[in-house]
Amino acid sequence: MPNRIMAHMVAFYPDRESSIKIAGALIDGGCSYLEIQFPFSDPTADGTYIQKACSRALQEGFKVNPGFRLISKIRKLTDIPIFIMGYANTVCFHGVKKFLDECVCSGAQGIIIPDLPFDYDEGIFSMGEKAGLNVIHVIAPSIHDERLRMILSRGPEYVYAVLRKGITGSYTTIGDENIRFLKKVGAYRVKILSGFGISTKKQVNVLSAYVHASVVGTAFIKEIMQNRGKSPYKIIIKKMHALL
Amino acid sequence: MQRLYNDFFGSFGGRYVAEILRPPLDELERVWLEAMKSDDFQKELDTQLTEFAGRPTPLMFAENATKALKGAKIYIKLEGLANTGAHKINNVLGQALLAKRMGKQRIIAETGAGQHGFATAAVCAKLGFECKVYMGEIDMKRQRPNVFWMELFGAEVEPVKGGSSTLKDAVNEALRDWASSFETTHYLLGSALGPSPYPDMAREFQSVVGREVESEINRRNLDVETLIACVGGGSNAIGFFYPFLDETTPRLIGVEAGGTGNSPGEHASRMSGSGKPGIVHGYKSLFLLDDDGQVGSTHSISAGLDYPGIGPQLAYLGQTKRIEFTKISDREALDALQFFAKNEGIIFALESAHAGAEAIKLAKSLSPEKSIIVNMSGRGDKDLFILAGNLDKDKWHSFLEKEVKENAK
Repeated sequence: MPNRIMAHMVAFYPDRESSIKIAGALIDGGCSYLEIQFPFSDPTADGTYIQKACSRALQEGFKVNPGFRLISKIRKLTDIPIFIMGYANTVCFHGVKKFLDECVCSGAQGIIIPDLPFDYDEGIFSMGEKAGLNVIHVIAPSIHDERLRMILSRGPEYVYAVLRKGITGSYTTIGDENIRFLKKVGAYRVKILSGFGISTKKQVNVLSAYVHASVVGTAFIKEIMQNRGKSPYKIIIKKMHALL
Repeated sequence: MQRLYNDFFGSFGGRYVAEILRPPLDELERVWLEAMKSDDFQKELDTQLTEFAGRPTPLMFAENATKALKGAKIYIKLEGLANTGAHKINNVLGQALLAKRMGKQRIIAETGAGQHGFATAAVCAKLGFECKVYMGEIDMKRQRPNVFWMELFGAEVEPVKGGSSTLKDAVNEALRDWASSFETTHYLLGSALGPSPYPDMAREFQSVVGREVESEINRRNLDVETLIACVGGGSNAIGFFYPFLDETTPRLIGVEAGGTGNSPGEHASRMSGSGKPGIVHGYKSLFLLDDDGQVGSTHSISAGLDYPGIGPQLAYLGQTKRIEFTKISDREALDALQFFAKNEGIIFALESAHAGAEAIKLAKSLSPEKSIIVNMSGRGDKDLFILAGNLDKDKWHSFLEKEVKENAK
């Protein structure tokens, strides 16, 4: 299997213009999917780096409508699928249907909202289907078999498989436990996007046998934070090359 | 007939969490519902509530306050006399015994005013759990005595620096901890909020407050016009109001933090028109949000009311108008605290003083045959530094300076 990367970034981090350059670098660097996070004040699934990036992005003036305009702009740079990631409150506050319609208008192919699971979804899955948008379920290794079956027997194109317990950021060892989980998910015909704690080529190489694409997020933000003052484009291109 | 497990209250409530947190919440729901039917569990809880928490707490007739205000009779439920100084212990004991049933070894909690953390740390010391309490950095500073007590009990108090460094951020951090530790750890959430089953569970464990009040009302044959409680997340209010929720009387008033003004960031009043529907911390309710759906900043002199959301059942009961909501400013709460101290010899926690202030306002407008009952959900020992700094600044500062000098020797 080829090494595919779904690159995660935070809209408006470290500022609007730089986030467009970062998207460009991820695309030019060869990512297969872009996951663009709409920052929320209280990102409970995220570790320190993404939390910091979100607060910075909010200080830089991120709002939902300018966020969609950013997506449209990035859409023009590439043909690869763009997924918008965010939290339930952002979607519900703006109105689920309106939010989904705007996702489609902006050129996004899908949406990932971890705190809207299928049985507390505010209608996002059915409305997403009507709008022609991929609403991507997020699953974790601890998921009960019955819930997994309920999700995957609906035949979604993609599923986002979190590799371990906890939050984004800290390093994940790919071992028997998460491989067993990925094999279980892989028994269904679904494209697995898998991440949480992926920052090295070694991890991506191992994962590529089991997943459609590896998700890398915090690793990019870390690079940007540790190389302040340098061109984000160059930093990100370099990291992408190191991963693929 | 009220149901034990509701999940939703009208459109509010729910279990809006990432899949990662589903197994521990599903387990908690199952074990809690089993325990509620278990005589052994109830017996053990009752014993702990009596022997350790010091229940029942008194219902005191505030005779001097009543005379001074020349209105309705004021009664005060002295919930702050419970061990660890607030109603929080009721919910903590219930959940800690559930943690034991689930075989967990570690308990984590969030805390604002520190009363929930204090109760959690004490119960963990007693029942033998490892304990970690998340507390906003700002709250650690303003409720320093409680930090000391928690550490004395052997708990680790983790300062939370992100966001506004208050209660909401402590909840975020506890949820993050739990996402990686749930196999060995119970998240002992302190209020009637969060993903289900927490709102239902906290209400049930706090309902002991209301049941004791109800039996005293009957025993003394009181004509109760109104019950008043402060509302942060709302666990003392929902427990205190519990026996009366399905009735049409008495009036139930929830008092929110009016802070220093009506602008965003100056108060924590969600039910007076400022709260908007949202999904935060795993539940749907009314929250203080900005115009783009980000969680807004809040202010209250009392750390325990300084939170942008309200428990889902309270939000629903506000919509159905069973509970009326009002707000009290920082200043009015401080004045009420002094009024009850001077007239009754009791010190309200700053949170509960908001309810006391509303009682002062209301009593004056009612006839002397009527009674109102205020829940003093906590006592004010923890607020020593805030109170002394506000009410007796010069003497307090020179005392602190002297202490520092003498201890430095």
